[in-house]
Amino acid sequence: MNTAGLGSQWRHPKFEYLEARTVEEACSLLSQYKDKAKLIAGGTDLLVSMRRGKITPLYVINVKTIPNLDYIHYDGDGLRIGALATLSEIESSPLIRDRFPIIADSAHQIGTPQVRNVGTIGGNLCNAAPSADMAPPLIGLGAKAKLKGPKGERAVALEEFFTGPGEPRLQIGEMLIEIQASNPPPHTQGIYLKLPARTAIDLAVVGVAAVVTLDTKGANIVDTKIVLGAVAPTPIRARQAENVIRGKTINDGLIEEAAQIAAEEAKPISDVRGSASYRKEMVKVLTKGAIRQAIASA
Amino acid sequence: MKQKIKLKVNGAPCEVFVEPWKTLLDVLRDEIGFTGVKSGCEEGECGACTVLVDGKAVNSCLMLAPQAQGKEIITIEGVEGEEGLHPLQQAFVEHFAVQCGFCTPGMILSAKALLDKNPHPTEEEVRVALCGNLCRCTGYVKIVEAVLAVSKKGD
Repeated sequence: MNTAGLGSQWRHPKFEYLEARTVEEACSLLSQYKDKAKLIAGGTDLLVSMRRGKITPLYVINVKTIPNLDYIHYDGDGLRIGALATLSEIESSPLIRDRFPIIADSAHQIGTPQVRNVGTIGGNLCNAAPSADMAPPLIGLGAKAKLKGPKGERAVALEEFFTGPGEPRLQIGEMLIEIQASNPPPHTQGIYLKLPARTAIDLAVVGVAAVVTLDTKGANIVDTKIVLGAVAPTPIRARQAENVIRGKTINDGLIEEAAQIAAEEAKPISDVRGSASYRKEMVKVLTKGAIRQAIASA
Repeated sequence: MKQKIKLKVNGAPCEVFVEPWKTLLDVLRDEIGFTGVKSGCEEGECGACTVLVDGKAVNSCLMLAPQAQGKEIITIEGVEGEEGLHPLQQAFVEHFAVQCGFCTPGMILSAKALLDKNPHPTEEEVRVALCGNLCRCTGYVKIVEAVLAVSKKGD
C-alpha cells in the first residue's frame, strides 16, 4: 500500500478476497466464515475501519459483483430500493426526488460526490453508525428492511434493525437486500436536518427527521414520526415528542414543547464532534426546524 | 495470492497482477505509473486520489484493485487531448487556480465529471461537485472561477 502521507497509526490489512455473484452465494460465504468475514460494497466505511485497525476480517466478500441489486422501483404499494443502489443514484433518482424527497435529501447529505458514487444504501444502514444519515428519514417513513439468509427471507422494521453502535440486526449468513417504504398518506411530508449543515464529508453530530401527515385542511397534525440520529447508541424515535403534536392543531407553542421533549429523549455522548449538552440543545433546534419545515411543505 | 486484473486506463487496456488488498490508487501509481493520481489521506476525505471510474468521480484509495476489474479509468494524464490542454486545464492555468498543484488532478477530474453531465452548472452546483476535493492553498475561489469560466464558454 502506498504509504505517502499516512500516519503511523494506519494498518495495512491483508485478507482473502472473495466475490459473490448471487445473494445466495454471499449468504453461503457469510455462513461459512461467520465473524471472520465482512461484505464490501463501496468500501467507504469498511476500508477506513480496517485501516484504523477497528475491524480485522480475514475474508472480504465483494457484493458489488451481484447484478440487479441496485434497482429503484416504485409501484402502487410504494418504493423498493435494492441494497446496492448507490447514494448518488438515490439522490438523483427522479422517482425518489418526486415522491420521497426526504430520502433523496438525506442521501445527498452523506459524504462527498466521490463517496456517494460508490457508497450504497445497504452499506450505510448495515454499517449501523448511530449517525447513519439514511436511517432517520427511512424510519420516519416506516420503512422495512428485507433480509435474506440461509433460512430464507424476512422483513424487519427498520426501526428495529439497529441493536447498538455498528450492530445491525443480522443473523449469521444474513444480508440486507432491499429497503421498502410504503406510500405515505396524502398531505404527508418529511424533512431531514443534519448538523453540520451544508458541510461535506462530516458525519452527523445531530440528525433529525420529522415526518408529518396533515388533515385535508392543513390545520391539524394527523400523525407524525420524529427520529433522532447521532444522539443515542442507535437512531431512535422521539415518541414522547411525537405525542405532544400528534392529533393536535398546528401550534407553535406545541412545536416548541415537542422540540424540548425530543432533546430530553436524546441520550448523546460527548466526543470530538460535540459535547452531550450541545447535542441536546441542537436536537431541540433541529426538531423545531424540521417539524416546521415539514408542515410548511405538506 | 496475487490475482490478475484487467482494466482500461486512459483509453488503453491494462493488465496487472496484484494482491487483492491493493487499491486502485496503488495500481495506478505503482503498477501502471500514473503518478498524477495523488495519495493524500487514504480515507476518502481529501479527494487527492480522485479518478473517474466509468465516468464517475471516485476516491481511488477506497476501491480495492479487484473491484476495478473491467472498469474504464481516467486519470489526470488522460484529460489532455490530442490538440493540447483540456479546456478545464487551460482555465485552471489562466485563472491561477493552481498553487502547489497537489489537489489539482483531483479537482480537474471532479470538475470534468460535473461538466460531462451538466455542461452549465450554477456556482452552487460547482461547489457541491468539488466538495470532496480539499485545497490547502487557494481558498477555492479561483478554482470555482475556472470551472465556471469553462461552463460559460458554451459547447
